[in-house]
Amino acid sequence: MTASADLASRFATALSDAQGEITDASSWPEVWELATSLSSATPVVSPDAFEQLRRGDRPDPADPLRSIADRAVGITQARLAIAETGSVLLIEPSDVDRAVSLLTRHLIVAVDRSNLVADLAEGFSWLAAQPQAAAYATFVTGPSRTADIERSLTIGVQGPSRLSVAIIQDSSS
Amino acid sequence: MSASVQSFRERYKRAVRDPDLKPRLLAFQRSWRHSRDAQIQRLEQRTERPFEDLRQEFAATKDRVRASWDDYISEFRSNAEAAGATVVELDSAAEAVEYITSICQSRGIDLVVKSKSMVSEEIDLNDALERRGITAVETDLGEWLLQLAEERPSHLVMPAIHQKRQYVAQILGGELGTHFDPDDIPAMVASARDGLRKHYLQSGAGLTGANALVAETGSIMVVTNEGNMRLATSLPDVHFVTAGIEKIVPTWSDAHDQLQLLPRSATAQQISTYTTCMTGPQPGKEMHIILLDNGRRDMHADDGIADALRCIRCGACANVCPPYQVVGGHAFGHIYTGAIGLVNTTFHHSIEDAAGPQGLCVSCGACETVCPVAIPLQQQILHVRRRAFDAGHSPRWERLALNIWSKPTVMRTAMGIAALLSSAARGLGLVQRAHVRLPLPSRLRWRSIPVIPLRSGQTLIASRQPQTPIASSPAAGLTVDLFVQCLADRLMPQAVDATARLVEAGGATVQVPGGQHCCGLPAFDAGDWDTSRIMARQTIESMEQHTHPIVTPAASCVIAMQDHWPQLFADDPDWLRRAQSVSDRIYDLAAWLDGPGRLPNNSLQPTSQLWAAHRFCQTANRGAPEARIDQLVARLTDSEPAELAEADVCCGFGGLTSLAAPEVGAGILQRKLDCVNATECDILLTNNPGCAIHLNAGAHAWGDAHETMHYAEFLANLLPNDGA
Ligand code: SF4
Repeated sequence: MTASADLASRFATALSDAQGEITDASSWPEVWELATSLSSATPVVSPDAFEQLRRGDRPDPADPLRSIADRAVGITQARLAIAETGSVLLIEPSDVDRAVSLLTRHLIVAVDRSNLVADLAEGFSWLAAQPQAAAYATFVTGPSRTADIERSLTIGVQGPSRLSVAIIQDSSS
Repeated sequence: MSASVQSFRERYKRAVRDPDLKPRLLAFQRSWRHSRDAQIQRLEQRTERPFEDLRQEFAATKDRVRASWDDYISEFRSNAEAAGATVVELDSAAEAVEYITSICQSRGIDLVVKSKSMVSEEIDLNDALERRGITAVETDLGEWLLQLAEERPSHLVMPAIHQKRQYVAQILGGELGTHFDPDDIPAMVASARDGLRKHYLQSGAGLTGANALVAETGSIMVVTNEGNMRLATSLPDVHFVTAGIEKIVPTWSDAHDQLQLLPRSATAQQISTYTTCMTGPQPGKEMHIILLDNGRRDMHADDGIADALRCIRCGACANVCPPYQVVGGHAFGHIYTGAIGLVNTTFHHSIEDAAGPQGLCVSCGACETVCPVAIPLQQQILHVRRRAFDAGHSPRWERLALNIWSKPTVMRTAMGIAALLSSAARGLGLVQRAHVRLPLPSRLRWRSIPVIPLRSGQTLIASRQPQTPIASSPAAGLTVDLFVQCLADRLMPQAVDATARLVEAGGATVQVPGGQHCCGLPAFDAGDWDTSRIMARQTIESMEQHTHPIVTPAASCVIAMQDHWPQLFADDPDWLRRAQSVSDRIYDLAAWLDGPGRLPNNSLQPTSQLWAAHRFCQTANRGAPEARIDQLVARLTDSEPAELAEADVCCGFGGLTSLAAPEVGAGILQRKLDCVNATECDILLTNNPGCAIHLNAGAHAWGDAHETMHYAEFLANLLPNDGA
């Protein structure tokens, strides 16, 4: 196994340990195909991911959260993926960026193959070198969860109840 | 919706009356322990470094920050301000409340959505806002359930862990106007999502805590699982951050180190779902970071307590705490719960608030073994207890009992009378298996009363033939002084005799220096250092008559001499030196039998009895090798122990705890005896006389079949020429 294939398989294992799902989609068109196969409703797309896809609904900048709340499928883009933990790093300076990852029911996160790193330490040193990114940066690991009622693990309490990650093999960007 | 704190006594009574609390918390503690240990093991493998190194390293980072605290605070402040945040340093809870209220009022904000923040609990923010006509809504599910029930968190990380699902269904149903099936937790969670959502859209401000404040960039790091924090920091126009000034770390790399330890210790996760790093407000919005002192600088100035400022609020100290398992966090703590609550309440609230739960702590030290920042919690609790005692917050019966205990002649008379009463009880047929059955109130009936033998351990030794040596140990020909220990002397004379015989079996001669009584441990544990010093001095005077090695069957007294005496005499160089010259010579019997007085493998007779070993918690939790009496007994008798689950967990004796809080003593004992009974052993061995007496009396009261004894007695019975 090459070093990079090893990273990808470690990422997939860690992600599924965190109740997330790795998808087969490996290009932006495949991400779109997947998103539209999941629900008949139009997927909502974060401003970042829209640059790549050029289709889907974007949050309404005037009222981003209300316009996105509880939509079936959302698509966003991560800056890094962490093999050790199965986390993706989202950089979301404004609430328009955050709406999609916060409020949709099933979130698909696309991340470039070249941005897959080994561990959280690499993630943090990347962050330390990018003061702009740290305005609002979130390591997301699996879907939203709670164990507040009798410690019973329940998925999807306030954020998405499903989280899928697509690793984009040869992004044009 | 106000959730004022009841008095400690009320909280305690409520807790012990709840029949479901104990089993639920026990299941929680066991599953947490299992998953947390697996996580820590994985971390050790991945980093190729022991947990001990990782926690000491991060503890050192936290200590380094405090050494130049003001510099780091101003670094944080200038970077956060450069990013557009407003940073205020406030001294007290009242000032923090005032600041938040005034910002809300000047912005016309009447609804604040809150993500979990212990500091906001500390300053009682919700009530204060409500008094000014501002509504605060908790959006973390657990915190929201508490708010609906008008309760306080009972755990730092799982705030509503005391609530059972039937109760949750009831309060949630009341709030949302629907009926819930208590067994359908996903349905309750889904409705809560909808119930909370509307508040985000209407609120003018969001409030969060911070797990770390990163000085190099002026950023905050917040760790959550639900995602409510991200909503609370995204929708409203104003974001308040409430954080203690101890939350500062220098760099992102340090924040990473904290993140290695926090979720693993808190929820036994490798990482939580959301770790969010924020620097400054969104364009056009406001971020107010409130850096709160509220007693933290006083903690820093107090050498015995300062390390508590390393705390990262993971809750692990509660998750291994035996009394916490019995009574939960409402009784075991104040606003802050668990071991850390017994310490920091003094500074964030008051000594009165901290005093109540002190008597529940059994001083087992389990908290220290898991604390990811290596806070010496056990010692700190003892320091707070001393303050509470000095301030007059200890029961009168306790003071009186310690006063009597400190007087050897009075004690001798009292014990003599008790021995006579015991033999009278025997005459009346009240004695069974060495315990008296008395018509006691039910809260005291869980433990039978041991009879006091007529002859003490010291008398027994004086009137017997020494043991013939069975091996030539390195100590052959030496004289050994025996420290018999007060409890063992009167209640377990055979264990004292057995100790002497095992030492003699290695070829040494045993003598018992006169005038010995108590090392001072019970008084030290109760916070009564003056009385403890009196007892310690008596012991020192007795033991400094000679210069031989000292052996004792009491693992607890070894800890008292090695750990407590230096504290008791810290300001008295002469006594400190004398104390040290005694404690330098002390050996726990097990350490002796594996060390200078080593008996060879298989040198005792084999046994056909199935035995299990409860390892005295304090010795085990400080990692002392002599705690492994199971290995010692196995090696000497060529036998295997029955596997005892939770062998290092406290038995519930806890010095005065089992008297001050009988329900706690009984609850912990039950947990222990359930584990013992699961082994189906014939004999339960232990290495501390107090535990042996307590375990025996409990097993007697509950009619358990096994016998309990000090391992010395078990081993001495297997000496080759037993009965010679
Ligand atoms: S004292 Fe240690 S174990 Fe307890 S909450 Fe703080 S960091 Fe965690």
